[in-house]
Amino acid sequence: MTFDWATGHGPIMPRLEKKVLERPLDIRNEVLEILDEVLSLKGRALKFSDETVLLGALPELDSMAVLGVISSLEERFGISVDDDDIDGSTFASVGTLVGYVSQKLKG
Amino acid sequence: MMRCGEREAFFLPLGDGQRFCLYTPALNGREKAAVVYIHPLAEELNKTRQMVAVQVAALARAGCAVLQIDLLGCGDSSGDFGDASWLVWRDDVVEACRWLRSRSAAPLWLWGLRAGALLAVEAAGQLPEASNLLFWQPVQAGRQAMQQLLRLAALAGGVGDGGLGAAIGGLQDELAKGGAIEVAGYRLGPALSGGLEAARLLPPLGRSGRVVWFDVSNREMPEILPSTAALLAQWQSAGFETAYRILSGPAFWQTAEIECAPALIDATAAIFQAAP
Repeated sequence: MTFDWATGHGPIMPRLEKKVLERPLDIRNEVLEILDEVLSLKGRALKFSDETVLLGALPELDSMAVLGVISSLEERFGISVDDDDIDGSTFASVGTLVGYVSQKLKG
Repeated sequence: MMRCGEREAFFLPLGDGQRFCLYTPALNGREKAAVVYIHPLAEELNKTRQMVAVQVAALARAGCAVLQIDLLGCGDSSGDFGDASWLVWRDDVVEACRWLRSRSAAPLWLWGLRAGALLAVEAAGQLPEASNLLFWQPVQAGRQAMQQLLRLAALAGGVGDGGLGAAIGGLQDELAKGGAIEVAGYRLGPALSGGLEAARLLPPLGRSGRVVWFDVSNREMPEILPSTAALLAQWQSAGFETAYRILSGPAFWQTAEIECAPALIDATAAIFQAAP
Protein backbone atom coordinates (compact mmCIF):
# COMPACT_ATOMS: atom_id res chain seq x y z
CA MET A 1 0.00 0.00 0.00
CA THR A 2 1.31 3.45 -0.79
CA PHE A 3 0.39 6.77 0.67
CA ASP A 4 0.06 9.57 -1.84
CA TRP A 5 0.62 12.88 -0.07
CA ALA A 6 -0.03 14.80 -3.27
CA THR A 7 -3.59 13.64 -3.72
CA GLY A 8 -4.31 12.84 -0.10
CA HIS A 9 -5.44 9.41 -1.16
CA GLY A 10 -4.35 6.36 0.70
CA PRO A 11 -4.55 5.31 4.28
CA ILE A 12 -6.15 8.45 5.76
CA MET A 13 -9.35 8.76 7.70
CA PRO A 14 -10.61 11.79 5.83
CA ARG A 15 -13.69 12.68 7.82
CA LEU A 16 -13.10 13.27 11.48
CA GLU A 17 -16.66 13.09 12.68
CA LYS A 18 -18.25 11.38 15.62
CA LYS A 19 -19.77 8.09 14.60
CA VAL A 20 -22.70 6.43 16.27
CA LEU A 21 -22.27 2.80 17.23
CA GLU A 22 -24.73 0.88 15.10
CA ARG A 23 -24.25 -2.56 16.58
CA PRO A 24 -25.54 -3.34 20.06
CA LEU A 25 -22.66 -4.10 22.39
CA ASP A 26 -22.16 -7.63 23.62
CA ILE A 27 -20.46 -6.53 26.81
CA ARG A 28 -19.30 -9.93 28.00
CA ASN A 29 -17.81 -10.76 24.61
CA GLU A 30 -15.95 -7.45 24.43
CA VAL A 31 -14.64 -7.87 28.00
CA LEU A 32 -13.41 -11.38 27.24
CA GLU A 33 -11.69 -10.15 24.08
CA ILE A 34 -9.92 -7.47 26.09
CA LEU A 35 -8.80 -9.97 28.74
CA ASP A 36 -7.58 -12.32 26.03
CA GLU A 37 -5.60 -9.62 24.26
CA VAL A 38 -4.03 -7.84 27.23
CA LEU A 39 -3.10 -11.07 28.99
CA SER A 40 -1.93 -12.77 25.76
CA LEU A 41 -4.19 -15.75 26.47
CA LYS A 42 -4.42 -16.80 22.81
CA GLY A 43 -8.14 -17.47 22.80
CA ARG A 44 -8.45 -19.06 26.26
CA ALA A 45 -10.41 -16.11 27.66
CA LEU A 46 -13.13 -16.56 25.07
CA LYS A 47 -14.15 -19.76 26.87
CA PHE A 48 -14.50 -18.08 30.29
CA SER A 49 -17.86 -17.97 32.01
CA ASP A 50 -19.24 -15.46 34.52
CA GLU A 51 -17.99 -17.73 37.30
CA THR A 52 -14.40 -17.77 36.08
CA VAL A 53 -12.20 -16.33 38.81
CA LEU A 54 -9.79 -13.62 37.65
CA LEU A 55 -7.75 -11.92 40.39
CA GLY A 56 -5.69 -14.48 42.23
CA ALA A 57 -6.41 -17.25 39.72
CA LEU A 58 -4.79 -15.82 36.59
CA PRO A 59 -1.04 -15.41 37.04
CA GLU A 60 -0.98 -13.10 34.02
CA LEU A 61 -3.22 -10.62 35.85
CA ASP A 62 -0.54 -8.59 37.64
CA SER A 63 -0.66 -4.85 38.40
CA MET A 64 0.44 -3.86 34.92
CA ALA A 65 -2.11 -6.16 33.31
CA VAL A 66 -4.90 -4.80 35.53
CA LEU A 67 -4.09 -1.31 34.26
CA GLY A 68 -3.88 -2.56 30.69
CA VAL A 69 -7.34 -4.11 31.02
CA ILE A 70 -8.68 -0.88 32.53
CA SER A 71 -7.31 1.32 29.76
CA SER A 72 -8.71 -1.04 27.13
CA LEU A 73 -12.10 -1.03 28.87
CA GLU A 74 -12.07 2.76 29.03
CA GLU A 75 -11.26 3.05 25.37
CA ARG A 76 -13.60 0.37 24.08
CA PHE A 77 -16.63 1.34 26.15
CA GLY A 78 -15.99 5.07 26.48
CA ILE A 79 -16.18 4.84 30.26
CA SER A 80 -13.95 6.46 32.85
CA VAL A 81 -12.77 4.15 35.62
CA ASP A 82 -12.36 5.84 39.00
CA ASP A 83 -9.32 5.07 41.14
CA ASP A 84 -11.50 3.62 43.88
CA ASP A 85 -13.22 1.23 41.47
CA ILE A 86 -9.89 -0.51 40.94
CA ASP A 87 -10.01 -3.14 43.63
CA GLY A 88 -10.31 -6.84 44.26
CA SER A 89 -14.10 -6.92 44.07
CA THR A 90 -14.26 -5.45 40.55
CA PHE A 91 -11.70 -7.91 39.23
CA ALA A 92 -12.82 -10.91 41.27
CA SER A 93 -14.44 -12.74 38.38
CA VAL A 94 -15.61 -12.33 34.81
CA GLY A 95 -19.10 -11.77 36.20
CA THR A 96 -18.08 -8.94 38.53
CA LEU A 97 -16.04 -7.24 35.80
CA VAL A 98 -18.86 -7.48 33.24
CA GLY A 99 -21.27 -6.24 35.90
CA TYR A 100 -19.03 -3.26 36.62
CA VAL A 101 -18.83 -2.28 32.93
CA SER A 102 -22.60 -2.70 32.49
CA GLN A 103 -23.22 -0.47 35.49
CA LYS A 104 -20.82 2.22 34.21
CA LEU A 105 -22.53 2.20 30.83
CA LYS A 106 -25.92 2.84 32.41
CA GLY A 107 -24.71 5.59 34.73
CA MET B 1 23.54 -3.48 -2.23
CA MET B 2 24.90 0.01 -1.75
CA ARG B 3 24.85 1.38 1.79
CA CYS B 4 25.29 4.85 3.18
CA GLY B 5 27.83 3.64 5.69
CA GLU B 6 27.40 0.94 8.28
CA ARG B 7 25.13 0.43 11.28
CA GLU B 8 26.69 2.05 14.36
CA ALA B 9 26.16 1.54 18.07
CA PHE B 10 27.81 4.30 20.10
CA PHE B 11 27.62 6.48 23.18
CA LEU B 12 26.77 10.14 22.65
CA PRO B 13 28.29 12.31 25.38
CA LEU B 14 25.55 14.55 26.80
CA GLY B 15 25.55 16.57 29.98
CA ASP B 16 27.47 14.75 32.67
CA GLY B 17 26.89 11.38 31.08
CA GLN B 18 26.31 9.56 27.84
CA ARG B 19 23.41 8.20 25.85
CA PHE B 20 23.43 4.87 24.09
CA CYS B 21 22.56 5.35 20.42
CA LEU B 22 21.99 3.06 17.48
CA TYR B 23 22.30 4.46 13.96
CA THR B 24 20.91 2.53 11.01
CA PRO B 25 21.73 3.96 7.60
CA ALA B 26 19.34 3.88 4.66
CA LEU B 27 19.83 0.99 2.27
CA ASN B 28 20.40 1.63 -1.43
CA GLY B 29 21.86 5.08 -1.06
CA ARG B 30 18.94 7.39 -1.77
CA GLU B 31 17.78 8.75 1.57
CA LYS B 32 14.13 9.67 1.76
CA ALA B 33 14.11 10.69 5.41
CA ALA B 34 16.19 11.02 8.58
CA VAL B 35 14.20 9.55 11.48
CA VAL B 36 14.85 9.97 15.19
CA TYR B 37 12.99 7.42 17.33
CA ILE B 38 11.79 8.40 20.82
CA HIS B 39 10.96 5.44 23.06
CA PRO B 40 8.13 5.08 25.60
CA LEU B 41 8.37 5.02 29.40
CA ALA B 42 9.49 2.33 31.81
CA GLU B 43 8.24 -1.18 31.02
CA GLU B 44 6.75 -0.07 27.70
CA LEU B 45 10.32 0.50 26.51
CA ASN B 46 11.18 -3.13 27.19
CA LYS B 47 7.96 -4.55 25.77
CA THR B 48 8.36 -2.68 22.48
CA ARG B 49 12.04 -3.25 21.66
CA GLN B 50 11.40 -6.07 19.21
CA MET B 51 8.60 -4.30 17.37
CA VAL B 52 10.76 -1.19 17.01
CA ALA B 53 13.75 -3.21 15.78
CA VAL B 54 11.59 -4.76 13.05
CA GLN B 55 10.33 -1.31 12.09
CA VAL B 56 13.80 0.23 11.95
CA ALA B 57 14.91 -2.49 9.54
CA ALA B 58 11.82 -1.87 7.39
CA LEU B 59 12.48 1.88 7.44
CA ALA B 60 16.09 1.35 6.35
CA ARG B 61 14.81 -0.72 3.41
CA ALA B 62 12.36 2.08 2.62
CA GLY B 63 15.21 4.57 2.39
CA CYS B 64 15.33 6.09 5.89
CA ALA B 65 18.35 6.74 8.05
CA VAL B 66 17.25 6.04 11.64
CA LEU B 67 18.75 7.07 14.97
CA GLN B 68 17.55 5.40 18.15
CA ILE B 69 18.58 6.99 21.46
CA ASP B 70 18.15 5.69 25.01
CA LEU B 71 17.16 8.71 27.07
CA LEU B 72 18.88 9.58 30.37
CA GLY B 73 18.34 6.81 32.87
CA CYS B 74 16.83 4.46 30.31
CA GLY B 75 18.15 1.37 28.53
CA ASP B 76 21.94 1.45 28.26
CA SER B 77 22.38 5.16 28.83
CA SER B 78 24.00 6.60 31.93
CA GLY B 79 22.02 7.80 34.91
CA ASP B 80 19.07 6.43 36.84
CA PHE B 81 15.44 6.68 35.83
CA GLY B 82 14.90 8.41 39.15
CA ASP B 83 17.26 11.22 38.10
CA ALA B 84 15.54 11.80 34.76
CA SER B 85 13.90 15.10 33.97
CA TRP B 86 11.42 15.90 31.24
CA LEU B 87 13.49 18.85 30.02
CA VAL B 88 16.71 16.82 29.93
CA TRP B 89 14.88 14.20 27.90
CA ARG B 90 13.62 16.87 25.53
CA ASP B 91 17.19 18.11 25.11
CA ASP B 92 18.40 14.51 24.57
CA VAL B 93 16.02 14.32 21.60
CA VAL B 94 17.20 17.69 20.25
CA GLU B 95 20.81 16.52 20.46
CA ALA B 96 19.90 13.27 18.74
CA CYS B 97 18.42 15.28 15.89
CA ARG B 98 21.58 17.36 15.69
CA TRP B 99 23.71 14.21 15.49
CA LEU B 100 21.54 12.70 12.78
CA ARG B 101 21.66 15.96 10.85
CA SER B 102 25.45 15.60 10.75
CA ARG B 103 24.94 12.31 8.87
CA SER B 104 21.92 12.99 6.71
CA ALA B 105 20.49 15.93 4.80
CA ALA B 106 17.15 14.20 4.26
CA PRO B 107 13.87 15.57 5.70
CA LEU B 108 13.74 15.11 9.48
CA TRP B 109 11.07 12.96 11.14
CA LEU B 110 10.56 12.53 14.86
CA TRP B 111 8.91 9.16 15.55
CA GLY B 112 7.47 8.82 19.03
CA LEU B 113 5.79 5.79 20.58
CA ARG B 114 3.28 6.36 23.42
CA ALA B 115 4.68 9.04 25.77
CA GLY B 116 7.61 9.32 23.36
CA ALA B 117 5.22 11.17 21.07
CA LEU B 118 4.81 13.89 23.72
CA LEU B 119 8.58 14.30 23.81
CA ALA B 120 8.72 14.38 20.03
CA VAL B 121 6.33 17.33 20.05
CA GLU B 122 8.37 19.15 22.72
CA ALA B 123 11.59 18.61 20.81
CA ALA B 124 10.04 19.66 17.49
CA GLY B 125 9.28 23.03 19.04
CA GLN B 126 12.95 23.47 19.96
CA LEU B 127 14.60 22.46 16.70
CA PRO B 128 16.23 25.06 14.46
CA GLU B 129 14.67 23.42 11.41
CA ALA B 130 11.33 22.06 10.25
CA SER B 131 10.48 18.50 11.16
CA ASN B 132 7.73 15.98 10.55
CA LEU B 133 6.10 13.89 13.24
CA LEU B 134 5.11 10.24 13.38
CA PHE B 135 3.00 9.17 16.34
CA TRP B 136 2.48 5.56 17.28
CA GLN B 137 -0.45 5.16 19.71
CA PRO B 138 0.47 8.49 21.28
CA VAL B 139 -0.39 9.43 24.83
CA GLN B 140 -2.61 12.46 24.27
CA ALA B 141 -1.77 14.26 27.48
CA GLY B 142 1.04 13.56 29.94
CA ARG B 143 -1.53 13.66 32.74
CA GLN B 144 -2.91 10.35 31.40
CA ALA B 145 0.54 8.75 31.52
CA MET B 146 0.99 10.08 35.07
CA GLN B 147 -2.35 8.62 36.12
CA GLN B 148 -1.26 5.23 34.81
CA LEU B 149 2.10 5.47 36.59
CA LEU B 150 0.49 6.52 39.88
CA ARG B 151 -2.06 3.72 39.66
CA LEU B 152 0.70 1.23 38.91
CA ALA B 153 2.75 2.51 41.84
CA ALA B 154 -0.22 2.29 44.18
CA LEU B 155 -1.26 -1.19 42.99
CA ALA B 156 2.25 -2.60 43.00
CA GLY B 157 3.13 -0.96 46.30
CA GLY B 158 0.09 -2.36 48.04
CA VAL B 159 -3.16 -0.48 48.53
CA GLY B 160 -4.00 0.36 52.14
CA ASP B 161 -7.36 0.53 53.85
CA GLY B 162 -8.08 3.89 52.28
CA GLY B 163 -8.39 2.41 48.80
CA LEU B 164 -6.51 3.21 45.62
CA GLY B 165 -7.57 6.86 45.57
CA ALA B 166 -6.04 7.53 48.97
CA ALA B 167 -2.88 5.63 48.09
CA ILE B 168 -2.48 7.72 44.93
CA GLY B 169 -3.06 10.89 46.95
CA GLY B 170 -0.20 9.92 49.22
CA LEU B 171 2.10 9.40 46.25
CA GLN B 172 1.14 12.77 44.78
CA ASP B 173 1.91 14.42 48.13
CA GLU B 174 5.34 12.83 48.10
CA LEU B 175 6.09 14.19 44.63
CA ALA B 176 4.76 17.63 45.58
CA LYS B 177 7.18 17.69 48.51
CA GLY B 178 10.04 17.06 46.10
CA GLY B 179 10.45 13.38 46.83
CA ALA B 180 10.61 10.44 44.45
CA ILE B 181 8.13 7.54 44.36
CA GLU B 182 8.55 3.87 43.50
CA VAL B 183 6.65 2.70 40.42
CA ALA B 184 6.92 -1.08 40.07
CA GLY B 185 10.72 -1.10 40.15
CA TYR B 186 11.31 2.36 38.71
CA ARG B 187 12.00 5.49 40.78
CA LEU B 188 10.01 8.45 39.52
CA GLY B 189 11.15 11.93 40.59
CA PRO B 190 9.38 15.30 40.46
CA ALA B 191 11.61 16.63 37.67
CA LEU B 192 10.14 13.97 35.42
CA SER B 193 6.61 13.83 36.81
CA GLY B 194 6.17 17.60 36.67
CA GLY B 195 7.19 17.86 33.04
CA LEU B 196 5.22 14.78 32.05
CA GLU B 197 2.10 16.01 33.85
CA ALA B 198 2.15 19.24 31.83
CA ALA B 199 2.91 17.68 28.45
CA ARG B 200 0.24 17.90 25.74
CA LEU B 201 0.06 16.53 22.21
CA LEU B 202 -0.47 20.01 20.78
CA PRO B 203 1.19 21.60 17.76
CA PRO B 204 4.25 23.72 18.55
CA LEU B 205 3.82 27.38 17.69
CA GLY B 206 5.06 28.75 14.41
CA ARG B 207 5.84 25.34 12.90
CA SER B 208 4.52 23.25 10.05
CA GLY B 209 5.17 19.90 8.49
CA ARG B 210 3.56 16.48 8.22
CA VAL B 211 1.98 14.65 11.12
CA VAL B 212 1.17 10.97 10.77
CA TRP B 213 -0.77 9.44 13.66
CA PHE B 214 -1.21 5.68 13.80
CA ASP B 215 -3.24 3.90 16.47
CA VAL B 216 -3.47 0.13 16.84
CA SER B 217 -6.60 -1.82 17.66
CA ASN B 218 -7.72 -5.42 17.61
CA ARG B 219 -11.38 -4.50 17.25
CA GLU B 220 -13.23 -5.54 14.12
CA MET B 221 -14.51 -2.05 13.40
CA PRO B 222 -12.38 0.42 15.33
CA GLU B 223 -13.44 4.05 15.47
CA ILE B 224 -11.48 7.23 15.91
CA LEU B 225 -11.82 8.61 19.43
CA PRO B 226 -13.46 12.05 19.67
CA SER B 227 -10.40 13.30 21.55
CA THR B 228 -8.16 12.11 18.71
CA ALA B 229 -10.30 13.83 16.12
CA ALA B 230 -10.26 17.04 18.13
CA LEU B 231 -6.47 16.99 18.45
CA LEU B 232 -5.97 16.27 14.76
CA ALA B 233 -8.22 19.23 13.95
CA GLN B 234 -5.95 21.43 16.06
CA TRP B 235 -2.88 20.23 14.18
CA GLN B 236 -4.64 20.92 10.88
CA SER B 237 -5.66 24.41 12.01
CA ALA B 238 -2.05 25.08 12.94
CA GLY B 239 -1.03 24.37 9.36
CA PHE B 240 0.23 20.78 9.59
CA GLU B 241 -0.59 18.14 7.00
CA THR B 242 -2.17 15.36 9.01
CA ALA B 243 -2.91 11.73 8.32
CA TYR B 244 -4.55 9.25 10.68
CA ARG B 245 -5.12 5.53 10.57
CA ILE B 246 -6.09 2.75 12.93
CA LEU B 247 -4.09 -0.37 12.11
CA SER B 248 -5.19 -3.84 13.05
CA GLY B 249 -2.99 -5.42 15.69
CA PRO B 250 -2.36 -6.11 19.38
CA ALA B 251 -1.54 -3.46 22.01
CA PHE B 252 2.10 -4.50 21.82
CA TRP B 253 3.23 -1.84 24.34
CA GLN B 254 1.20 -3.45 27.13
CA THR B 255 0.54 -7.12 26.33
CA ALA B 256 1.84 -9.72 28.75
CA GLU B 257 3.90 -11.34 26.00
CA ILE B 258 5.99 -9.61 23.36
CA GLU B 259 3.80 -9.12 20.31
CA CYS B 260 4.17 -7.61 16.88
CA ALA B 261 1.79 -5.61 14.68
CA PRO B 262 2.77 -6.26 11.04
CA ALA B 263 0.08 -3.96 9.67
CA LEU B 264 1.68 -1.07 11.55
CA ILE B 265 5.13 -1.99 10.21
CA ASP B 266 3.84 -1.93 6.64
CA ALA B 267 1.86 1.30 7.02
CA THR B 268 4.83 3.08 8.59
CA ALA B 269 7.25 2.00 5.87
CA ALA B 270 4.64 3.01 3.27
CA ILE B 271 4.85 6.64 4.41
CA PHE B 272 8.33 6.82 2.96
CA GLN B 273 7.73 4.63 -0.06
CA ALA B 274 5.38 7.21 -1.59
CA ALA B 275 6.74 9.62 -4.15
CA PRO B 276 7.77 12.88 -2.41
